[in-house]
Amino acid sequence: MEEFESLFFDWESGSLDEDGLARLRQLLRSNEEARSYFVQQQMIGAALRLDFDAGLESLTPEASSGETLTTRTDSKDERTTVSATQQPSGPSIVRLWAVAAGMLICGLTARMVYLENSNARVVTESTVSQPETETPREATSDGIALLTRTVDIRWADGTRTPQTGDALTPGKLAIDEGYAQIEFFCGATVVVEGPAELDLKSSTLARVHRGKFRAQVPPAARGFSLEVDDMTVVDLGTEFGLDVSPGATNVQVFDGEVELRSNLHSKQLLTAGDAIERTNAGAIKTTSTTPDDFVDIAGLETRVGGERQARLLRWQTWSKRLRRDPRLIAYYSFDQSGVWQRKLLSSVEPADRELDGAIVGAARVDGRWQEKSALEFKRPGDRVRVNVPGEYGSLTFACWVKIDSLDRWYNSLFLTDAYNQGEPHWQILDTGQLFFSVRHKADSDKKNPTPTHQPVLSPVFWKPSMSGRWMHLATTYDAGSGLIRHYLDGEQLHEESIDPALVVNTTRIGAASIGNWSIPTRPDERFAIRNLNGSFDEFAIFSAALTADEIQEMYANGKP
Amino acid sequence: MKDSGNTESFVRQLTENQPRLYGYVYSLIGDHNKASDVLLETNLTLWRKLDQFEHDKPFLPWAFSIARFQVMASIRDQGRDRMLLDPELVDLLSGEVERGAERLENVRLSLRECLQSLAPKNRQLIEHRYFRGLPIGKIAETAERSVSAIKTSIMRIRRELAKCVERKLEGPSIS
Repeated sequence: MEEFESLFFDWESGSLDEDGLARLRQLLRSNEEARSYFVQQQMIGAALRLDFDAGLESLTPEASSGETLTTRTDSKDERTTVSATQQPSGPSIVRLWAVAAGMLICGLTARMVYLENSNARVVTESTVSQPETETPREATSDGIALLTRTVDIRWADGTRTPQTGDALTPGKLAIDEGYAQIEFFCGATVVVEGPAELDLKSSTLARVHRGKFRAQVPPAARGFSLEVDDMTVVDLGTEFGLDVSPGATNVQVFDGEVELRSNLHSKQLLTAGDAIERTNAGAIKTTSTTPDDFVDIAGLETRVGGERQARLLRWQTWSKRLRRDPRLIAYYSFDQSGVWQRKLLSSVEPADRELDGAIVGAARVDGRWQEKSALEFKRPGDRVRVNVPGEYGSLTFACWVKIDSLDRWYNSLFLTDAYNQGEPHWQILDTGQLFFSVRHKADSDKKNPTPTHQPVLSPVFWKPSMSGRWMHLATTYDAGSGLIRHYLDGEQLHEESIDPALVVNTTRIGAASIGNWSIPTRPDERFAIRNLNGSFDEFAIFSAALTADEIQEMYANGKP
Repeated sequence: MKDSGNTESFVRQLTENQPRLYGYVYSLIGDHNKASDVLLETNLTLWRKLDQFEHDKPFLPWAFSIARFQVMASIRDQGRDRMLLDPELVDLLSGEVERGAERLENVRLSLRECLQSLAPKNRQLIEHRYFRGLPIGKIAETAERSVSAIKTSIMRIRRELAKCVERKLEGPSIS
């Protein structure tokens, strides 16, 4: 074997000659052990490469010290430049994803969105022709604004449909009806009334095609501009309204000053109380301001309040009905009033106080609606301890959760203490993938080892731009077939059947933690520390695999 | 007919199985550049054969069989002298490579843990060699060690990693 390993190494480094190659082939043909070694090492080679491509090499933090080596190499020989030192042999596997992206362009739909997320690098057509110019894969959000509020919003068909709390990237936004409040990163806040269409250009600029806009621009955001045709409305620290309809454009200044710039009329200053109307032909006439026609932030707040009340009420009605669902094993609605006394009351009816959870560390904060609470988990010790007795078959886990960031290798949603036979583990990997597994059997025979369980991972569903947004996560496990399905916001993310040999028919929970892991099976830090950085607002476990329709219903009734 | 439900299912499977297919092709080709090309060809062929895809049948065995065909074609084109594996060896290894590729996602998870358990110095060697793709000579030069010493070290670490991954996959494993 030593000979084989040595030859294999040389082959891999590209320094094996003809005779060596022939000998290596001969060994592969004749020696079973050599073949096993070969396959095993090649898989590791592929795995390393895939992780490199996914930008996961940062998992080994000390590795960055490799830069010292790069630098030293560079200083010794100027010609040893980037291409030789930074990229390993050749183009990245991004090209492969690009092919699939090409298929997407062929007119395919929905689920393919996850393709983009399944690799830290962004797939665009350009990567096909320029794989070498890939930029670094930091997980930065390239947003320029936040969508902070919406009321009765209906996004135009075929355009993006951001959720409240999402970061917005440059590009088109089209609203058929309703209101949206957009906070640009420069500090300007714009309330948009549909129907409206605009192009977000940068954190200080948007191009408006139609709709009603009311901008509030504090001094720090001075210079914020909206463009209409060849005209630019530059705000000099103020509040103004802009109404763009097919026939004419109307600019009204409610407070402060605004500068109009256009090709025809080089510059014009409008101050508080001024209003102008410009026809498509370019003629400008003075009109009077009508501030009540433009919904401002306070007005939107009132409307938001109305909509929020309606949604809260809908959720409360639905939640009351759910509490009597005989399939519920555990349910925490986080809807208790008064002093909590560090208890998370079980909401299952008829009530069983044994199911109440104990809050450790986690702090009470506003929930999906400010009228209701949630628990925020921040520090490594934060958790809710629960004890759920009994034996079950199929399971469903569902929760409303807000993730601030994925700090740990494994980030707990719900983990049983240790990880014993029949116990489920539900968590999120630092890559943003949902992870579910049930322990099939205790530690295997050392002499004849076989897998103890099969984890089922969703594609990447979480990225930093979703930080702070409430989302609904659910996973169903069918104990008969071993089919596992992951859901995000009522839509299926992934389904996979586990190996029949690893299907667990009898599941149990016992002592467990929400948002943490209480009894790690191994001491090393990276593996053991699994506290979630985020908040929970509603958590349910069922003794059945809920259908896709039921998950969708849960999402629709609980959506903030 | 390429009905849309079938197409969607196909694309989902193809996307989800890219790493596994890459693992399969790379194992038999042994070169990341060429493996990427062969996988591209494989994806395109699978796409052209979408009509033969039945979404209630397992996707991977079908995809592997087409990938194997592409690997064979690549070996024929390259000429036997340049490639380690000849068609006969591909046939001999294909089954084991398929089994390996099927569990590649778990190998990746385990490997991440195993890399953590390495001594920093050893982890750095692996980083330089396999993430950054530095030639052995360069690594030896920088570390002020001989090429054969580096070779011995890397071989030992790779053995260690392989054992660790095996242990995690088969023993009391990650949860």
